[in-house]
Amino acid sequence: MLEVRVKRNLPGFKLDVAFSVDQEILAILGPSGSGKTMTLQCISGLIRPDEGYVNLNGKVLLDTSNKINLPARLRKVGFVFQNYALFPHLTVNQNIAYGIRHLDSNEINDRVAELLEKMNIPKLGERFPRQLSAGQQQRVAVARALAPEPEVLLLDEPFSALDSLVKERLQLELQVLHNFYRGIILFVTHDLTEGYKFSSKIAVFESGHIVQHDAKEKVITSPSNHTVARLVGFKNLMEGSVVKINRTAVTIDVPELGGNIKAIVPASTHLKINQRITVGVRPEYVQIKQQPGENTFYCTVDRIAEGVSSTNCYFHVNTVGVTRHYLMVILPRQDSDTLKEGQKRHLYLPPKHVVVITN
Amino acid sequence: MMETYLAPLWISLRTVIVATAITFFLWIAAARWMTRYTGRLKSLIDAIFILPLVLPPTVVGLGLLLTFGKNGPIGQFLGLFDTTIVFTWWATVISAVTVAFPLMYMTARGAFEQVDTHVEDAARTLGASEWRLFWSVTMPMAWPGVAAATILSLARCLGEFGATLMLAGNIPGKTATIPVAIYFSIQEGDMNVALILVGIVLVIAFGSLAAMAYWKGKAYKARATMVNRENVE
Repeated sequence: MLEVRVKRNLPGFKLDVAFSVDQEILAILGPSGSGKTMTLQCISGLIRPDEGYVNLNGKVLLDTSNKINLPARLRKVGFVFQNYALFPHLTVNQNIAYGIRHLDSNEINDRVAELLEKMNIPKLGERFPRQLSAGQQQRVAVARALAPEPEVLLLDEPFSALDSLVKERLQLELQVLHNFYRGIILFVTHDLTEGYKFSSKIAVFESGHIVQHDAKEKVITSPSNHTVARLVGFKNLMEGSVVKINRTAVTIDVPELGGNIKAIVPASTHLKINQRITVGVRPEYVQIKQQPGENTFYCTVDRIAEGVSSTNCYFHVNTVGVTRHYLMVILPRQDSDTLKEGQKRHLYLPPKHVVVITN
Repeated sequence: MMETYLAPLWISLRTVIVATAITFFLWIAAARWMTRYTGRLKSLIDAIFILPLVLPPTVVGLGLLLTFGKNGPIGQFLGLFDTTIVFTWWATVISAVTVAFPLMYMTARGAFEQVDTHVEDAARTLGASEWRLFWSVTMPMAWPGVAAATILSLARCLGEFGATLMLAGNIPGKTATIPVAIYFSIQEGDMNVALILVGIVLVIAFGSLAAMAYWKGKAYKARATMVNRENVE
């Protein structure tokens, strides 16, 4: 288990995070400049926070209140840098062997060969980094970080430098990583899809703070606040107030929709009548219906943005109010092909996909 | 007769090699110390390191004379051991180091600053001590720039004249380096000796440039063949 508490004050930025990770993959998700990379640097000992405590499997790596600050080289923390940071003057074999030169030469050779095999680059050992593609460089960087058998592996935006095709393949391959790597993996990203695919839990960072840290399914189905909701893809967010509560079924008045909307909430949610809340609906869950009905709103197609496999449609709600409210809907190509701007449709927001955000 | 040419050549070669080596290691110590030092005096110390480069050589020579002379602080200290530096061979080395060090310091610093800090951090997370990191990562990565700076310092040592003349004088067979010998040959109207010494300097200069080009070309060729072989496979 990895326990982390770090505080760092910089002009214009304050990092203050605390979290713990079991033997699992945690995605650290957040916009750039939210302190994700800095947190990894504090864990690995590359920067010293003003105040902090880091404990890895019972070993204290950092404890500022007791003046403990293990240097990076003694922490046994694997780090894969965003630009891979391979040693350009060393071959792939020498790169991987860099962290294990205390072993005898046979052991080193065996370990390097084993890692090359596992990372699926068995023939590249004699090459120099500049002779490798970005994807191959990444695999060497992972192999190099894993060679000293670290208890935790930190990956800083591992896929940001790759084109989308390579990215998809490597994401699949990196998932294999935890078949043979038994340690903790922390993985920084600003891309939700990436974080979701690769992790079991997600910690959402926002300007130096953790705004939500949950199982990944929970983060995308019930975001803890407005910021998280926006970050995890709730394009449709509306203000409202609670009208009626019937166990898990809640009726909410949403002026922007010109009426009431029903939501199914988890039993643990505590709501009061007249409480001000935000409702969120992911654009891929909005459906087009033939007739009016419950949770169905009559809307006009405002703009259509065609994508490769799906289409983003922006509707505005036909209400009597002054301000226009837009709903974004992601439709499969087969449904959107007949849609034209200016047409009117009934949009259905399924109650179980209407999420209530209380703060 | 040969002694006229061979003695200055021999003195110059010894001076250049020893002075360049001292400059190189002094620079490493200074660079490593300066990258860690973050105090308020940083830019002042920087300026002091570079100062001899912008001062007239005679001023540098006078400064050295005042420091190493009988009444200077280091001169007095050495006097305790009955040793003196002024007008000895070591004076040529000290003069050369004093003028070559700023050049080394300035030109090689850029090479160090260009080394990707992420690569150095990677070495740290892989368990490297600062010492190993420096010799196995920083130095090899900065090497082209450092090598160029070293060759520049070497050339500066070879050409050193003003400060050498003031601190070491012109003692044939002892402190007369090639540039000093050339100057005094001309003064004495011995044009032939001067021209032969000039020829020797030109040979050394071209020789080191050629050696550098050859060495660079070889390194490049080795890498190129490696790429080709792998592409064929």
